[in-house]
Amino acid sequence: MQRVRTRLLEFLFAPSTDTWLAVLRVGLGLEVTFYCLSLRNDWTYLLSGTARRLAEALLSLETHFVPRLGWLTSLAAQFGLPEEKVLFVAWFCLFAAGCALLIGFASRVSAIAAWLLHLCAAKSGGFVSYGVDNFMTIGLFYLMWSPLPDRFSFDWRLRGARPKHPELLGFWRRVLQLHLCVIYFFSGLTKCLGNGWWNGSSVWRALIRPPFNIIDPEILVRWNYVFPVAGIFVCLLEITYPFFIWNSQTRKIWLVCICAMHVGIGVTMGMHLFALTMIVLNVAAFGPGLRRMERCTASLQPNRAVS
Amino acid sequence: MREKNVYAAWFVLQFLLILSFSCRDTFRVVAEGPTILPRSFQNFSREAQVVLSIALAQKLPSGNPVREAVSTYVHVAGIETGYGYFAPNVPGSYVLVFELHYSDGRIEYELPSVSSATAGLRIAGLLDSIGRTPYDALREILVKTLAQSVWRNHPDVESVRATLSSVRLPTVQEFENGKRESYEFLYAYDFSLQDAPAKSNDQ
Repeated sequence: MQRVRTRLLEFLFAPSTDTWLAVLRVGLGLEVTFYCLSLRNDWTYLLSGTARRLAEALLSLETHFVPRLGWLTSLAAQFGLPEEKVLFVAWFCLFAAGCALLIGFASRVSAIAAWLLHLCAAKSGGFVSYGVDNFMTIGLFYLMWSPLPDRFSFDWRLRGARPKHPELLGFWRRVLQLHLCVIYFFSGLTKCLGNGWWNGSSVWRALIRPPFNIIDPEILVRWNYVFPVAGIFVCLLEITYPFFIWNSQTRKIWLVCICAMHVGIGVTMGMHLFALTMIVLNVAAFGPGLRRMERCTASLQPNRAVS
Repeated sequence: MREKNVYAAWFVLQFLLILSFSCRDTFRVVAEGPTILPRSFQNFSREAQVVLSIALAQKLPSGNPVREAVSTYVHVAGIETGYGYFAPNVPGSYVLVFELHYSDGRIEYELPSVSSATAGLRIAGLLDSIGRTPYDALREILVKTLAQSVWRNHPDVESVRATLSSVRLPTVQEFENGKRESYEFLYAYDFSLQDAPAKSNDQ
């Protein structure tokens, strides 16, 4: 039992550089910035009025303690501030947090602000949320707990800030890595349960289903023999991800293939934000260390690697 | 060392929650079907889904402190759902068309519109929620919310009829034979300027 515990701790607290954290911070900073810019004209429309109040009421049936925009609007209403202004301030703060994350300015505070404001928007916009919000929450949640700042950030270079617990770099990277393994395994498993992914009809339907139908079906139908191959490829790629991503010889192949799959989803279905989020999470978790030089640095003790 | 043990304990709890929610949603997929598994798996999955929901405190009454604590944590960590996107098969989609009736007898048609493709994906998600919800009242409120925004853009409209249809996608073979996507009428709601509840007509 003691041996198992020791091995588990060794696995969880493996030494790591902070390159992965820099990738995660910059990637999620970009993601939050693009998220805000893409919704700037529709932010108030999507997050105000009855639909928001209804989503928040349904959320309250589960829990009253999850942050939501309704808290901010209610508080502001006490001071006579209208809902639209509060929503604009929330949007602006989220955008600013995204930009700050991008350059690594006040990294910890920015990460917490980005997580909190994005969570408020995702939960209050329950009916207009989709997968990307879930993955952004996951990424920002791990980012705000990780030992920020990283050595590429503004905080490190110009303000001389250093992380308080650099020995936890490996731990948080492991958590992200293992979480991705669970995500892909279950995503692959549930797809394997449908016959549509084996005969290719799910690929065809995904590509012609509004609003993902950005490629003309007349063009798609000429490639119909590819659909079964693509469907099986996606299922196998996802379900085998937890088994092949750890091996140094197969990691590169699986990482490249999974990123290519997300690029494909982004280009052919218009899910750019979703694709970016998944690529950022994958590259942050499994990218650093692929190159030989990176592997040498990774073998350093964590406090040396970050100092 | 003590700190490491605390982190390790949190890790175990976190992954138990992630695995439990993922398993629960996978069982839900099997229970709702159709899947490639034999039908006998459906009953087992239904029971397993209930057991996991109980274990995750999701069957406790609303307001129960344990349920609130678990729900709060999983929501803030983003682990409250499984990962069965587009699974087991890709579902159909829904379309909502507004028929705008003017006082001079003119009729115009409009779709819910937003200014960016990213926001468009979110509206599509909203339409899926409207189409799939088994609650008539919820469906009506959501449709009414969208109708109100159309009304704001067309203040001179006398009444609005919102028609929700499901989109039936053709198979590859059907498409090659000339068949295109078709629409199946589901519900229609009539809204007038008076704040009266909408008249609903369903299939």
